[in-house]
Amino acid sequence: MASAVPAARRLASDAAGNRGRHLTDAVATVILWLMAVSIILMLIAFIAYLFYLGFGSLSWQFLTGPPSQQAGGGIGPEIYNSFYILVLTLAFTVPISLAAGIYLQEYARPGLFRSVVQFSAESLATVPSIVMGLFGLLIFVFYFHWGFTALGGALTMTLLNLPALMRVTQEALASVPDSLREASVGLGATKWQTVVRTVLPSAIGRLTTGVVLIAGRIFGETAALIFTAGLSVSANHPYELNPFRSAETLAIHLWYTHSESVIPDVDRVGNGSALVLLIMVLAFNIAARVVGAALTKRFTGRSS
Amino acid sequence: MISLQASKSHRNERVAVNVLRAAAGFLILAITLLLLYLAVEGTKTFFVDKFPVWKFLFSSDYDPGNNVGGSAVFIAGTLLVTGFAIGIGGPFGIAVGVFLSEIAPPRMAQILKPAIELLVGIPSVVYGWLGLTLLVPFLRTHTSSPSGFGLAAAGIVLSIMILPTVISLSEDAFRSLPRSLREGSMALGSTRWQMITRVLLPSASSGLTVALILGIARAIGEALAVQMVIGNASQFPNGIFAPTASLTTEIVIDMGGAPQGSFQEHVLFSMAFLLLLIAMVLILIVRFTLRRRA
Repeated sequence: MASAVPAARRLASDAAGNRGRHLTDAVATVILWLMAVSIILMLIAFIAYLFYLGFGSLSWQFLTGPPSQQAGGGIGPEIYNSFYILVLTLAFTVPISLAAGIYLQEYARPGLFRSVVQFSAESLATVPSIVMGLFGLLIFVFYFHWGFTALGGALTMTLLNLPALMRVTQEALASVPDSLREASVGLGATKWQTVVRTVLPSAIGRLTTGVVLIAGRIFGETAALIFTAGLSVSANHPYELNPFRSAETLAIHLWYTHSESVIPDVDRVGNGSALVLLIMVLAFNIAARVVGAALTKRFTGRSS
Repeated sequence: MISLQASKSHRNERVAVNVLRAAAGFLILAITLLLLYLAVEGTKTFFVDKFPVWKFLFSSDYDPGNNVGGSAVFIAGTLLVTGFAIGIGGPFGIAVGVFLSEIAPPRMAQILKPAIELLVGIPSVVYGWLGLTLLVPFLRTHTSSPSGFGLAAAGIVLSIMILPTVISLSEDAFRSLPRSLREGSMALGSTRWQMITRVLLPSASSGLTVALILGIARAIGEALAVQMVIGNASQFPNGIFAPTASLTTEIVIDMGGAPQGSFQEHVLFSMAFLLLLIAMVLILIVRFTLRRRA
């Protein structure tokens, strides 16, 4: 009897503690939900706000017209340059990172060379893009005496994006089941034949998704291009094919018009450019998913 | 005939391996050249212009026209902005990482993950533009800051920009923990929140460290979004809303006008080299952390 009272008290306080910790759990769960939801709301708010700011600027004249020092300039050549540098960059980045990724994933045995390549890729991936831009300046502008060129910009962007695409390649190849490789080799194929005819088609969907997502990032990159591709479009030939000419992209135009602020309608051009950049990013993201899923289905019959 | 074909495909095989190996080797070449070139160019301040290293690091006397290159203001700016960003974005990102790994129903994850991927995709100039048109006017009217430009604006923009990195890496860190940890904790009667804070957080600490460090690396290297909202004043900020400058913003602003071979250009390359060294140290810490876990 004597011990019943403290025991009961302990039970009561346990119950209170129990209620307390369940309350804490519920509150924490609610807070984590709110944080997660706030990210989605923030993204929606950003998109809505950019549309609100920039929608009035969009016109055929703005999207295709040349930039101007006076009010009323367009962004046609800048959009062209963004795609031009994107295509050029991918033309270098895709083959190199595909090859490097295939080597590491399919051929290389664990050892010194493989770990040095991995470490180099990780280091390259951490180099700030402005520092990569200065490296491009040293090599292409100063050392090769090219001046500011689309080619120099694209090569700098290649260095910047190689590690990411190599990683995408490795992950895509790693997702291909070994049974496919064994079946191919079992039928008498060489390693290279196995890679080209069995492994790559099987990984093509994931590869494409990765490439398109990275393409979106290249489209919006700025810091690596300021001191390599330059801040101007050639006035006489804004839609030139020659890679040895300066090529201001849309993302740089957005930054440069604001930071120099020489044109009278900075806000209109800036709002419109920001919206076009956002729309392109949305397009690349959606395309990555749609095209990737379609290719996977086409080449493997699987749905994901 | 058959042996001819076989020898041909063997030759193809050898050629292919060598081409692939060369591509992999290209990455080694690239990072080596990058380090070499920036090391040579980045130390000219000290070896050619004889400006002392300690002054570069610790003096705030910055007058590159007169061969004075104390960069303490910019270094402090970089550290403060990065600290601000990771101070907000770090905990927030880890919390959302926990949410994705432990709490989110599949439906929610299906919405949240693409949203985070979109945040990664938004170009840094667009973040800068949002900061400029949304955040800076807000700070101007609602805080003591007269212009709205400054440390806080840059820190807030950066904290949003590093969120996706921190979220996805910390989600990975939690997901890689064995199921038995969760089952053990639950079987002992803990609530989900107790399991998260007392079992999962400590066990995932090395993965979370990596998430935070890579978030820091992203923040330190960001240039344009920061430059658009930081205020670009070469002074130590005397409050969190005061304008200042960082290593990246100083490079962005002055590199274009610095004559080739001038002291100013050398100092800017020294700043870039310092950024590169910081990035390399961070990646070494990541390596070390991951190895210790393994």
